Amino acid sequence: MTPPALPDAPPRTRKGRVLLWFSAFLIAFDTAIFAFDSTWKRYSPDDYRLRVDECAHRRREIVFTGGSPVAEGVDPEILGHLSWHAQEIGNFYNLGFSGGTTSDIYFGLRHACPQTPMVLVYGITASDLNDSRHEPHGAQSFMTRDDVRDWQATRPDAGDWAARHYAKGKLAKASSLYQHRFGIRMWAASRCEELVPGSCPESATEANRQRAIDTALHRDTGYAPTLWFATRRYSEMKQGGWAAPPFAYLANYKMGSHLKYLHRMLDWAGENGVEVVLIDMPVTADLEARHPAEFAEYRRNLADASRARGVTVLNGAEVGLNDDHFADLIHMNRDGTVRFCAWLRSELWKMGEPHQPRWTVRGPAAWAEKPR
Amino acid sequence: MILACKEFPIFLIVVLAGYHLLRARRWKYLWLTLASWTFYAWASPGYLWVILLLTAVDYLAALRIEASADDRVRRRWLILSIVSNLGLLGAFKYAAFVFDNALTVAGWTGFAAGDRDWEILLPLGISFHTFQGISYTVDVHRRRIPAVRSFVDYALFVAFFPQLAAGPIVRAVEFLPQMVVPPKVGWAEIELGLRFVVVGILKKFFIADQLHDLFVAPVFLDPGAYPPDIQRWATVAWAIQIYCDFSGYTDMALGLAKWFGFDLPPNFHLPYLATNIGDFWRRWHISLSSWLRDYLYFPLGGSRGSAARTYCNLMLLFVLCGLWHGAAWHWLAYGAYNGLLMGLHRVFDQIFRGAAWRKHPGWIAIAWATTAYQLLFGLVLIRMNNWETGLRLQASLLGIGTGGTALTRVPMPVILLMLAGLAGHFGAARPGIAVWLRMPGRMQNSALGAGYAASVALLVAFGPGVTKSFLYIAF
Repeated sequence: MTPPALPDAPPRTRKGRVLLWFSAFLIAFDTAIFAFDSTWKRYSPDDYRLRVDECAHRRREIVFTGGSPVAEGVDPEILGHLSWHAQEIGNFYNLGFSGGTTSDIYFGLRHACPQTPMVLVYGITASDLNDSRHEPHGAQSFMTRDDVRDWQATRPDAGDWAARHYAKGKLAKASSLYQHRFGIRMWAASRCEELVPGSCPESATEANRQRAIDTALHRDTGYAPTLWFATRRYSEMKQGGWAAPPFAYLANYKMGSHLKYLHRMLDWAGENGVEVVLIDMPVTADLEARHPAEFAEYRRNLADASRARGVTVLNGAEVGLNDDHFADLIHMNRDGTVRFCAWLRSELWKMGEPHQPRWTVRGPAAWAEKPR
Repeated sequence: MILACKEFPIFLIVVLAGYHLLRARRWKYLWLTLASWTFYAWASPGYLWVILLLTAVDYLAALRIEASADDRVRRRWLILSIVSNLGLLGAFKYAAFVFDNALTVAGWTGFAAGDRDWEILLPLGISFHTFQGISYTVDVHRRRIPAVRSFVDYALFVAFFPQLAAGPIVRAVEFLPQMVVPPKVGWAEIELGLRFVVVGILKKFFIADQLHDLFVAPVFLDPGAYPPDIQRWATVAWAIQIYCDFSGYTDMALGLAKWFGFDLPPNFHLPYLATNIGDFWRRWHISLSSWLRDYLYFPLGGSRGSAARTYCNLMLLFVLCGLWHGAAWHWLAYGAYNGLLMGLHRVFDQIFRGAAWRKHPGWIAIAWATTAYQLLFGLVLIRMNNWETGLRLQASLLGIGTGGTALTRVPMPVILLMLAGLAGHFGAARPGIAVWLRMPGRMQNSALGAGYAASVALLVAFGPGVTKSFLYIAF
């Protein structure tokens, strides 16, 4: 009796079929997410990228840049139109990068201004220049490979860090699902709340906030204030017993490598004939009192740079803001913004009067000659 | 290192690649052992000596036990092994608890002493690998298994990283025979491993962690702010969270072991379908329950002695089971509570043994509901932030609770997560929804592939950005 024939081994391609389907469906999901790219972006705007792209859209006459104090506190619409050396100008853009350092701001500015503006107003503060701060958003959002190389050469102390976050940003873009995960979540929360009111109100509120920021960032001024900052009053919060937490952005304060990018920014402005105005942004008296040494060091360096490069520094403290005009230790609320912008407008009017000399940034040589 | 940390995927890829590229048995196992020790020492390299010492002691003790025909010598080596394991476990896990209580007692007697100003970091998985070591030397002593000749083989059995941190507690008799020839890993193992890993990740990161953040943690922190019905739902959510957290880890461990070709024992079998407390402990953390039964309850005499002795054994077993989970009074209370329930159930069982109505579906439903209620009551003990909040939550379970109005209804995402957790629980015993739906083989492949991809997509889009450690790693 012949033994029963062994069944044929299944063809090799049949093995691992589940893995193949798994991979295929992952790609299909990712493609489907990519197809609705613009929807997710509306629910989770990359404010750095959007500001850079919108600003680069056309030539701006004045660009206001800085960290979150500028992003929240400079409303180009309040500034209206100005006369600048007998020329009517009104095309202003708020290129504030919330959480950005001077290094991030420099690279953002380079990408946002392919057509150089007439005037660059940099609202600077002590935390922009704190070398203990490394913020990932700029490296992940708009920096290029060349920027990373530049960063590594200029700031070797944080070179690996920039390269890592640049790579992380690029890797995140490899998958639409991963890249837009927050936008998808916000979109879903918004839809859930519409379908079943009260199902996820907090997430839906956040989704609406993100939509509002996206809409504001598409309005061609770059000004997209956070409702939270606009409506709060630091004075009232203090009276209510609220104590601001330690201000981590000034922790372990040291200056040097971010400062190099301030000079790079001035070099760039000088080479392109851009007039530069620095504003020492106003902060609360409480913050100054908490970090007197840090602010003193920062102002000493700012004054040095101003003298060496021939750049005007406006003193934001002259605005006379008090705790009623702030939302927390450093961000102006709406009242503060209105008052600050009115002061800024008058200062710029004065600087732009026909008899005033144009401000020319002195070149790097002048800076190098200065004993340090 | 834990399975939930960012470094783990890279570690896993390197270890898998090395393991499968190496051909010779000894190099494969040496590589995996070194990787497992690296995994163990990642967070606190200073503790590597703990696992090395216990591995060496148990390895040597087993060889000596086997080599000797003299029972006294054999017993001495066994005692050395047990004392080494329990001694280190006790020193690391219970020293602070004993010290604190000694201070309290000293305070009662008028002896003023300051608070404890030192902490002991628990070595990774010490509660698990010490039990594995003990079971090994006991089994060699009982002549159930031969002693392992190769130190590397034994070290790998103790330190195998997928189950090192939180089990399952693997016995030598289950693992060592698989190591004789390095197990082959084919498509079937890869696919099955993927299934376990995806389901485990989903349970842990998507369900357990989010239930914790969205609902369980805030309600348990301040139950008085929430109405009693919300407190009850938070207890139910906690039951689902702890199941998804622990069984999620177990699923991941089983899946990862599959990718190395090893089978680990299951740790759960539909625990929330239990119809009595004994049934629950046969379904929950099976590897621990069966370990305690075989290496503690039976040696104590089990149920073979007098009734009083049996009840004492049960109580002792569960008090120790509670203390195994954590060195704290609430864990002891949890153990005693379960010991009490076991005793009561035993009385009930003996009175109504063989009664026909006990097989009636109506009675089974009542038994299930009663058991679930008992479990929820006990689970409050192990999650409560303090006794006051725990008693408040238990009062709510008893229908006599009070509370505020911080939340008037359970948020929709929480309900969806709880339903997903229950689906994960009830679906755990089935190979997949495709089988449930009786799909033809070809469609099963695509359905499973779609299911895994959807799980990954769900996790990426809706999972928490920051993961938490597994609950059972703390035990």
